Amino acid sequence: MSGALIGGLYALMSLGLSLSWGALDIINLVHFMFILFGAYLTYQLTSSTGIDPLLAAVIVVPVGFVGGGLLQVFFEWAGLDEFKSLIITFGLFIILQSLARTIWSADFRTLEQSINPYVSASVKVGGVSLQIPLVIAFVAATAIAFGTRALMGATYFGKAVRAVVHDADTARAFGVDPRRVGVVLAAIASAYSALAGVLIATFQALSPTMAVGWFGIVFPVVILGGLGNAVGNLLAGVIIGVAAGVATVVWGPLSASLVTFSIMVLALLFRPEGLFTRRATI
Amino acid sequence: MRKSRRYVHLLALLLAFALVAAACGDDEGDTDEPIVVGGSLALTGFLAPTAAIHKVAGDLFVEQLNANGGLLGRQVVWDVRDDESTPDQAAAIYERLITEENVDLILGPYGTGTITAAMAVAEREGYVFPHHTASLTYAYTYECHFPTWPVGVDTNISNPNIVYDALEASGNPPQTIGFVLNEFPGTQLIGYGPPNSDAGGAISEARKRGWEVVLEVNFPTAISDWAPIAAQVAEADPDFLYVGALGVDGPNLLAALDAVGYTPRGHFYQWPAPGPLLGAVNSEGAMSVTVFESHPPYTDDPEAAAIVEAFGEAAAAEGIPYTLFDVQAAVSWTAWQVLTAGVEGAGSLDQREICDWLKDNPVETIIGTIDFDPAQQNYYGDLSVVKQIQGGKWVVVHPADRALPGATPQL
Amino acid sequence: MTSRGRALLGFGVVFLALLALPHIASRLDWPGFYLTFLFTAFFWITQSSSWNMLTGYSGYFSFGQGAWFGVGVYTTAVLAGKQSWGFLAALPLAGVAALVVGLLLGVVVFRLRSLGGEIFALTTLAIAFVLASIARIFPEIDGGRGSFMTSVPLPEFLGEFRPAVYRMTLVIMMLTVLTAYLIYESRLGWGLFAIRDDEQVARGLGEPVFRYKMAALGANAFFGGLMGGVWALQIGFVTVEDVFNIRVPLFVILMSVLGGTRHWMGPVVGSVIIFTIIDRFNSAGFEDFNQVFIGGLLIVLVLAVREGIYLRLRERWLAAGVIFATVMILLTLFNPSSMVWKFLWALLATLAMALVPDRAWQRLANRGGATTSAADPEREKVDV
Repeated sequence: MSGALIGGLYALMSLGLSLSWGALDIINLVHFMFILFGAYLTYQLTSSTGIDPLLAAVIVVPVGFVGGGLLQVFFEWAGLDEFKSLIITFGLFIILQSLARTIWSADFRTLEQSINPYVSASVKVGGVSLQIPLVIAFVAATAIAFGTRALMGATYFGKAVRAVVHDADTARAFGVDPRRVGVVLAAIASAYSALAGVLIATFQALSPTMAVGWFGIVFPVVILGGLGNAVGNLLAGVIIGVAAGVATVVWGPLSASLVTFSIMVLALLFRPEGLFTRRATI
Repeated sequence: MRKSRRYVHLLALLLAFALVAAACGDDEGDTDEPIVVGGSLALTGFLAPTAAIHKVAGDLFVEQLNANGGLLGRQVVWDVRDDESTPDQAAAIYERLITEENVDLILGPYGTGTITAAMAVAEREGYVFPHHTASLTYAYTYECHFPTWPVGVDTNISNPNIVYDALEASGNPPQTIGFVLNEFPGTQLIGYGPPNSDAGGAISEARKRGWEVVLEVNFPTAISDWAPIAAQVAEADPDFLYVGALGVDGPNLLAALDAVGYTPRGHFYQWPAPGPLLGAVNSEGAMSVTVFESHPPYTDDPEAAAIVEAFGEAAAAEGIPYTLFDVQAAVSWTAWQVLTAGVEGAGSLDQREICDWLKDNPVETIIGTIDFDPAQQNYYGDLSVVKQIQGGKWVVVHPADRALPGATPQL
Repeated sequence: MTSRGRALLGFGVVFLALLALPHIASRLDWPGFYLTFLFTAFFWITQSSSWNMLTGYSGYFSFGQGAWFGVGVYTTAVLAGKQSWGFLAALPLAGVAALVVGLLLGVVVFRLRSLGGEIFALTTLAIAFVLASIARIFPEIDGGRGSFMTSVPLPEFLGEFRPAVYRMTLVIMMLTVLTAYLIYESRLGWGLFAIRDDEQVARGLGEPVFRYKMAALGANAFFGGLMGGVWALQIGFVTVEDVFNIRVPLFVILMSVLGGTRHWMGPVVGSVIIFTIIDRFNSAGFEDFNQVFIGGLLIVLVLAVREGIYLRLRERWLAAGVIFATVMILLTLFNPSSMVWKFLWALLATLAMALVPDRAWQRLANRGGATTSAADPEREKVDV
């Protein structure tokens, strides 16, 4: 049960990467840093001003939005393919991780209980107690997943994105500027990651090296969900969360990453396009 | 034409190499220069929060040493590098310090992995190797290693039994016990004993006392999701929870337990970061092991009291959240005392002489007199005592003669 | 003599010269550190050259170097450290074990034509995580307690510990680079480059692309594992965190991309440059800047020197040689620092020259008043 809930968080952490990979052909490892900086900024805002950590999202998420947009401008300028994007964002990943360590040190940072009402708050549902931050993450992830699908399916922007993904030249001929669409989409994707960071800050101890640990969660979710598929991504998050939880209980916590990665490899072998679609929705 | 070009190229390169080879004699430092103590610490990486304590302690020790005339009449410089918490970096740094920088002395890094890797280098180069925080006691066979965390060579047996004695002394020993162990070499040793050996550890020792082991779970060092473990603990509901914890494992586990509405009745943490555990939810009553705390009888000696105070100021100036001089700082201080005592005792910087002196003579330190015993791989028995969080403070509670006067273990 | 004959002769000369070095070192009383510096450089040359056999030649981007390396590390750690095998008996198996794991992955992944290169990359990323979990779970391998290699005896003919490690890494390094060269010159290399340029076309031409890719992956894994086996011995104490982290894959990518992935010498040059810089950073106590530097360099290189430094250096070989030698000589005359430091400064000066963009370089060369030669103005200028 708690596995399914944390799956919501996993889905939120993965959605940004999934969108930028699926729609922009950029394997953007900087998303891990958007999450990390989102979490640290939340920590910083909350502990220096005493505001509610979730309220910090009002500032943190727009920062992520702008950061992701600017980064995409740079990518457009540099003209990257998938491989180069992987290497360059890998470089940025390392630099930003060092930056985080310079600013916040390698110490674990945890929001004090006095200013963080969420850390050990829980609700009881049918005899099972659920951590509030996970409940919030799950609700947010669900709303965002369906919201993103609606955005992509029904709005002009969504149509523009799909047109660009399908054929950038034709899209341009119809008056859609692929660059502008890309920048906006990247900004949205980054905002999602920043939001995931806010939620993480409410219940976990932060350290700069934790971002590498997320690889083992995010990539399986992205692959399993199908690139750019928001709802598939949510389901994949839940599957990975439950699988890791079950593995932890049955075989011990050491087996969790073995199980999640095995799922990823199996998914790659049998459904490389993702479990939930023949073709990504975008 | 083509040929002549090639010759120019080749000649230039050859000339360069010849000159380089010729210029390779390094000159030796003379005796007015300071004595350099080389070493590394985990200034970054996952060990960094605790290593910072060792940095402050070492800086303070060197400062006081120099203020009192230095070592052998010479000033002392501590050349400390960052091993990034990784053993292979530590090994490379010690190799570099010894063979490239030609440091006079070395002092061990912080943490089991880095110390173990650095010790291999020290052994190859024949350097005296005082170290404070290495936990794989059985594996250290180098004759010139001098451990200053006094846990004994059979720590997997002796250390849990000191804790279990404290539980018995509370008058309310547990019937059932649960183990949650970090999958880290040191905590695995305490839990299970050395690999390829039947010696056993905390778990088999608990069984010997007739306690029922109702939970045995290992978790990875880099764990992010504590909820499944918390669920297992709550379900097993042991009378006493023995956590093979490092750093902030304790606070994380307690938060996850609290989230499922569970408070452990009795609990122990092997090597916690002291500050965060004090601030964690439901940490009252948590136990750990130590050799020094900033309260009587440890601070009865005015010299020790002065060090405790100076450390507190230095740590605060460095922005370290927890400024009390406790076990980490004490063993660091002891390592420096051992090194300097060895040099003064031998009257030289000769590694062989220092090593022999330390093996033959007891050393007065802040944690008491220690006498390295070559028959026990230079260990000297387990001097650990049990501390407990009582009234929001760490207090030594067992054994009675080294506890805060009046304090007893509470269960 | 054919060009291959000359190259093989070159390999032989370099090998013998490097083999003689420990003897010279002990005669001249060099600091022991020089040997350590060299065998660590050999380690990285091996890792990046072997990585390049797959990724540079075929274009299949691999994060799996840490996995092959790790399999090798744990093979000797288990066989020599725990089971008390002789080290030299265990060492070849380190390569073989990595080879087997690599081929197993290859059989699965390369059979599926629908898998793109980026999916292959992620699978190789995953394999390291999976292997790390396996090592943690089974106490027979590690079980999280770490493995000791400190009491493993070495055969006497290898000499003392440091020269012994030096000789073993030297042999493995030479074998790896030689293999990289032979593949590069062979039909297999041609086929791999064809795959890199367009796999569909290569397959259409009847090339056995599956076999080619398996061969490249196998060679990559074998040498990565073999060198991992020596690393276990050299480090003495092996932990899962130290072995299966992103350092090895990160560095090999960086080194190869810097040196140039399209030529067999690229990774060699890249490894020497990056390793020297990082080593000196560490020596100077700038460990904290390492990561920023590496990350920054990676970005600059991908954007600025797309073909890699090696080809640039070869184009401007005379300038490179002159600058390198001049700096070396000047430092030797006026600066008493250690040889490795001098090497670093000479390297950096040469590197700066190589980073001058092509167009600016042409202009610079022409301004020298040389006779114009579109193909190679630099050579002409000096000759006149």
